[in-house]
Amino acid sequence: MIELKGVNGGYGKKQVLYDINCRMESGEITSIIGPNGSGKTTLLETACGLLAPFSGQVIADGEDVHKTDPKKRAKKISVLSQQKSAGALTVRALTFHGRFPYLGYPRKYTDEDREIVEKAMKAAGVYDIADETLSELSGGQQQKAYIAMLLAQDTDIVFLDEPVTFLDINYQLELMELIKNMKKQGKTVVMVIHDLNLAMSFSDKIAAVNNGRIAMFGSSKEIYDSGIIEDIFGIKAYRYAEKNQYFFTKG
Amino acid sequence: MKQSDIISAERNKTEKIFLFACLAAVIISAVLGICLGSVGIPLPELIKALFSGGDTLNSRIIIYARVPRILAALLAGAALAVSGVIIQAVLENPLAAPSIIGVNSGAGFFAVLAMALFPEKISAVPAAAFTGAVVTVLAVYAIASKNGTSKLTLVLAGMAVSNLLNAGINTVTTFFPDSLSGINSFKIGGVTGITLQKLFPAWIYIAVGIAAALILSRELDILSLGDRTAKSLGMNVKVIRLILLLASAMLAGAAVSFAGLISFIGLIVPHMARHFIKSGNSRLICASALMGAAFVTFCDMLSRTLFRPYEIQLGIVVSYIGVPFFIYLIMKRKGGRHGDRA
Repeated sequence: MIELKGVNGGYGKKQVLYDINCRMESGEITSIIGPNGSGKTTLLETACGLLAPFSGQVIADGEDVHKTDPKKRAKKISVLSQQKSAGALTVRALTFHGRFPYLGYPRKYTDEDREIVEKAMKAAGVYDIADETLSELSGGQQQKAYIAMLLAQDTDIVFLDEPVTFLDINYQLELMELIKNMKKQGKTVVMVIHDLNLAMSFSDKIAAVNNGRIAMFGSSKEIYDSGIIEDIFGIKAYRYAEKNQYFFTKG
Repeated sequence: MKQSDIISAERNKTEKIFLFACLAAVIISAVLGICLGSVGIPLPELIKALFSGGDTLNSRIIIYARVPRILAALLAGAALAVSGVIIQAVLENPLAAPSIIGVNSGAGFFAVLAMALFPEKISAVPAAAFTGAVVTVLAVYAIASKNGTSKLTLVLAGMAVSNLLNAGINTVTTFFPDSLSGINSFKIGGVTGITLQKLFPAWIYIAVGIAAALILSRELDILSLGDRTAKSLGMNVKVIRLILLLASAMLAGAAVSFAGLISFIGLIVPHMARHFIKSGNSRLICASALMGAAFVTFCDMLSRTLFRPYEIQLGIVVSYIGVPFFIYLIMKRKGGRHGDRA
């Protein structure tokens, strides 16, 4: 569980977020949606501890995320960032980096680390390309490799910034199943996602953000019924209740 | 940590073979460097002079001229190459290197200032060079930290800073011509006439710098993934980056203090090493140190033998090889615009 209390934040001196109050529960998927420039990524980065807020608190399991020791925080919260580097390292090496928060001196991986890394690579679908170099892979394969690293970090709270970027539709759905598995394991999953249908179909809660404020926080159906989607995106939303699917047309 | 954990057995074997090849290159270039020059020295005489001394002309050449020179070339090559590995990883910029972003010039300016103001205190030069390198690296880092600074802007800013500092070197040279008689050699870069005394305490700085880079190689791996990922993995990015930049400044400053402004080693050597090393920075640092040492020693040997009995400056030979490589890198990057952010 992670809770934001009266959070104001932004980059440098520029305020982006205003008085954010919300609570993301364990065993639930919460999606942050909103138009470009509405503050989604700023909200995610502030909530996961990467960006210190101007004021307010982010509480995870009773502790202020921004006052927690970075290594301790990394054992609790993992983040798939939008900005990723595609260096000259192998997928396997990248996945092992997910175990960095658990490494002490001397830097020796345990059998448990190796087992977790192998499972993570298999779950993310990169086991067959484990020894390929990242810079030689496609954008989608790189994204999968980073997801393997995230899985290897094995935290209770998972933040994902645009996780389906670069992925074909087949793997988008596979990834959403993977995210649903995290939920089943009791993890708190928070993601920023542009694909409204994926967000509304797979999420337990939606945080609809507009102009740096939470315009509404609730279930997909509550968000749909409120008409907030139409208001903040200027589009028309439809719901196919039987399949829990959403469609959107220009408003 | 075992490298076999993070790379396949086949790749692990390839990397080990490459590291041994680099080590062999160091030994071969050092032996050639001692034996070849304006006076040729047969191998048996080299072995005899090294193990039993002797007072022949050749043994004196070996002990007082060639060995210090080769040691200087090995140390300068290793230091500049490892400094390049660190700077490229910390700034997440493959075009960054101590000579490209002005660190060598910063070290050179302070070193020249120390030589001019305190001509009797040779041991002050490495400390001054280190200070200059630190000041420059922090200035460049401040530029790189600004949101939206592109990788190309950083390189251009570094080149501008480098030019400014070179102007500073020329100014000091103008006002202190008597204290800086060998300044031209210093500006081009070379190890001519070096003594073991001049290598002290620079070699200590180099040893500490390389040790720090190796100890923090895992952190360097994580930093290469970008700030956000490094932070999310629990790294104190600001502190680690500062320590690593200080280590890179220490290495570049120490090399500049006795070998002058040799360019391109920190740029080209890590790139060449990366073709063979994929497992991470610990092996990349070892490979780059060995390759840099062998490369500079080999270039120094060429500088003495290409136009024998005349000798050209080591920096000239390095530039003849380094500049085409730098142009090749720029050309190769022209299609990668999406990656052009710092």
